Amino acid sequence: MHVRSQLKVVERTDAALDPAEAIAFVSDPGFGGIDVFIGKVRDLNQGRAVRGISYDLFVPLVLNGFQQMADEVQAEFGPRLRLYVAHAKGRLAVGDVAVVVAAGSPHRDEAFCACRALIEAVKHRSAIWKQEHYERGDSVWSEGCSLCHDHADQPHPTLEGREGHDHAAH
Amino acid sequence: MTTVQVQLFGAFSDLVADGRIEVDVAGDRIADLRQALRELLPQRWPAFRAGLLDYSAFADQERVLRDHEAIPDDRRVAILPPVSGG
Repeated sequence: MHVRSQLKVVERTDAALDPAEAIAFVSDPGFGGIDVFIGKVRDLNQGRAVRGISYDLFVPLVLNGFQQMADEVQAEFGPRLRLYVAHAKGRLAVGDVAVVVAAGSPHRDEAFCACRALIEAVKHRSAIWKQEHYERGDSVWSEGCSLCHDHADQPHPTLEGREGHDHAAH
Repeated sequence: MTTVQVQLFGAFSDLVADGRIEVDVAGDRIADLRQALRELLPQRWPAFRAGLLDYSAFADQERVLRDHEAIPDDRRVAILPPVSGG
């Protein structure tokens, strides 16, 4: 059977994430559309200069979750779909690639929709945490989406505002 | 009373150097573990923002465990504060 998804976690000390690998994986002679999302470490967060980010992951749960998310996306936008997810682990510098998500399909609409759905699920439901390291030398764990609820992509009300939690902005 | 090994992530990982703590739990549900931590955290780490516990989840290696579910047989659980991947 054709493997329809590649899902992985990459230690930063082992390798950098490679968007070209993602494109190659989701390519197929029958596919006319590929959409790729690349998430990078930026130099500013909530007005503070950032030097880097450390990503902590509960790897077995993350990989299990990636598979579940890929299955959901396949069910909604497949079956002619190939998916790729890679997330970095460890300490990254500004400009480093933190996450790559790609979707390939016969036409662009399914590719766009599948890629968007997958990156949103990865960000909001994966057991991944980032610690931002600021220019001033201090570090802060970022808090996003609580997994306490059945609809795990909903943020906890008490998180709104306090951390400036905004699903569109992170 | 059972002893549960809790693997720490995110802000919780700052509590101890090796990223795991042992917690004595009276009961066999995840809710019992949550209650045990609610008592232990302010006692052992008074500077830690213990309120983080209220919106943290628990999990084994395969899935998130809800409060009404049983603590796994191997008594190994991960605590998952709000996530921030990507």
